[in-house]
Amino acid sequence: MSKNQSWILKHPWSVRSFHYLLVLSFIPLAITGVVLFFKPFDQLTMNLYMRIHVVTGVILTLDAVAYFIIGFTRVIAFVKRSFSFSVNDIKWFSILGGYPQKFLLGKKVPVPPMGKYNSGQKLFGICVLIGGTILIATGWGLWGFPHILPHGMTALFGTLHLVFGWILILFLLVHVFLGIYMFDDFKAMFLHGKIPYEEAKEMAPLWVETEIVKIER
Amino acid sequence: MNAEARTYQKGEIPGIIGIDADVCKGCDSCKRYCPTGAITGMFGAIHSIDVEKCINCGQCLINCPFGSIYETVDTVDTVIAKLQDKSVTVVGIPAPAVRVAIGEEFGMADGSLVTKEMYGAMRKVGFEILDNNFTADLTIMEEGTEFIVRARHALFGEEAHGHKVGPLPQFTSCCPAWVRYVETKYPSLIPNLSSAKSPQQMAGPLAKTYGALEIWKKPPESIYTVGIMPCTAKKFEASRPEFASAYHFLKKEGKAGSDTPYPDIDTVLTTRDLARLFKKMKIDFTKAGETDGGPLAEYTGAGTIFGNTGGVMEAALRTAYKVLTGNELQPLEFKPVRGMKGVKSASVTLMDTKYGKEVTVNVAVVNGIHGNIEPILEKIMAGTSSYHFIEVMNCPGGCVNGGGQPIKSGGSSWLRAALPLFGWK
Ligand code: HEM
Ligand code: SF4
Ligand code: SF4
Ligand code: SF4
Repeated sequence: MSKNQSWILKHPWSVRSFHYLLVLSFIPLAITGVVLFFKPFDQLTMNLYMRIHVVTGVILTLDAVAYFIIGFTRVIAFVKRSFSFSVNDIKWFSILGGYPQKFLLGKKVPVPPMGKYNSGQKLFGICVLIGGTILIATGWGLWGFPHILPHGMTALFGTLHLVFGWILILFLLVHVFLGIYMFDDFKAMFLHGKIPYEEAKEMAPLWVETEIVKIER
Repeated sequence: MNAEARTYQKGEIPGIIGIDADVCKGCDSCKRYCPTGAITGMFGAIHSIDVEKCINCGQCLINCPFGSIYETVDTVDTVIAKLQDKSVTVVGIPAPAVRVAIGEEFGMADGSLVTKEMYGAMRKVGFEILDNNFTADLTIMEEGTEFIVRARHALFGEEAHGHKVGPLPQFTSCCPAWVRYVETKYPSLIPNLSSAKSPQQMAGPLAKTYGALEIWKKPPESIYTVGIMPCTAKKFEASRPEFASAYHFLKKEGKAGSDTPYPDIDTVLTTRDLARLFKKMKIDFTKAGETDGGPLAEYTGAGTIFGNTGGVMEAALRTAYKVLTGNELQPLEFKPVRGMKGVKSASVTLMDTKYGKEVTVNVAVVNGIHGNIEPILEKIMAGTSSYHFIEVMNCPGGCVNGGGQPIKSGGSSWLRAALPLFGWK
């Protein structure tokens, strides 16, 4: 990395702190959620896992609500990006972003041009937006008043919480793997927020072309 | 000490209700409905039931949102086999609250009264019918006259001939969950329970004696009695060893037809069980046609309100009033008791013509044991209660909301549940 390399700010501090809290609450939620599903431990331990689950659930909820208020424009931008599709997305999914070829066959195949987020990340974004909202809403219902809601509704909440819980947990595994694999992105999110211009140009050409303006220094 | 040595007699079914550990999510809902604290399990962990404390009411079962709670006793197939056995006369004894609920299992509107349709479907699969409303009338008369005896004993020192007179307040005894509650938690109050049997336990001997010999003209030992109840605790009640009166009576008469005692009630089906039986036997309830119940299905209006809270006591008091004054009792004006959601009370002033004295009778109706009964019992034990006659129904709202009734997925019992929100321990 040369000294006069250009950098693009990809994740401002507000996004980074939201993401930190998200990681800190989501990973314990996922682990304790899996434990709650399999129920492998004794009373006290299961109770402890449940307590961690609901407490981190509260942190996640506060984090999401705070970000929704403070970073409202960012949320809107994220929603817009996640829900904008083109034929490129179909092409991307047909080769799964070229990742399997790269990891399994060691080949580099041409990948259709992507925006700030690639098609997979957009899908993950949609799942997080919808699934996260559902998990939070149903989680509060299941915790606070399972006996007061109509039984059918509590049962439905239980099913939704379970299904979306698993979807997000499985997606999370992929997300974490790729997030660390793309180490520049990882550093951007966890450290300084910036990624190298060249890297962005390769990974997200449409974003760089249409949205990034060069500032002369 | 083993289970049976403590709170179960020999022969009784220990624990009608169980929790399926694989399905339980540890959500803690059931605990908030249990009147006895029989459910253990920390928030997030698998829950289970302590059969010693459990009074079999099934409230947890109908309120578990995840369907994790089940009945350990299921005799639907046994009853079907009996119905198909030509040497057996199967007598169905449907309780009042069944006929307002079973329609729901067949897509009819909640609360539809379907007495004639129920008779029709029961006849079609081969039941003889002894309507429990008929014996509900008997229970009411028994409790009413017993109350007169107890009241005259307490107020005027009148002695009864040949037996000890129980104390006041008199409790109703038709709810087997309540009876077991007193037996296990407040044994010193057992004498306050009315000595009258529940309608189900009056129906059994009636079917096996009068019904067998006079109506159906069949040997008593070939009669198979099936209580059809809104209630899981009735399964327990039927298994109590003291309920073999028909056998002991017939034995003395030389008509028992067997050397092994048979129970007054052979088995109990809940409303849900009966619906399942009809479905298994491919009976379309809605098209089974209407019929009368036959000679043992006639009853007054009094028993019909048995399924409602306040019904038993009011009807019994009506009987007592009539006996004491010779007049009809005006409908009681119940007032809610302050600070207690499920309790209402009333007073009646009446003239006991035998003694020429005015007496004021204070009565109360406890609608749901959970959260309501303890303060009342504590007062009675301290000698500071002003009540003379108390009806107690375990289930909030009475038998219509019993543990054997159809499970309502849209049902929310938020008014009835104990309120702790947000599980933690
Ligand atoms: C967003 C991340 C979350 C994930 C991945 C997640 C995952 C799970 C999983 C897998 C289960 C086990 C479900 C089962 O056994 O059927 C569970 C249960 C539960 N979760 Fe979450 N959960 C999340 C958020 C929350 C939140 C925000 C709350 C509440 C504030 C919450 C409250 C609960 C409760 C009370 C249960 C108990 C089980 C039940 O009653 O069904 N969860 N969760
Ligand atoms: S209500 Fe049902 S799922 Fe919840 S703790 Fe009780 S048995 Fe388990
Ligand atoms: S059946 Fe009744 S007493 Fe027994 S555990 Fe359930 S709610 Fe409690
Ligand atoms: S109130 Fe009725 S349904 Fe409930 S336990 Fe008592 S008898 Fe059974």
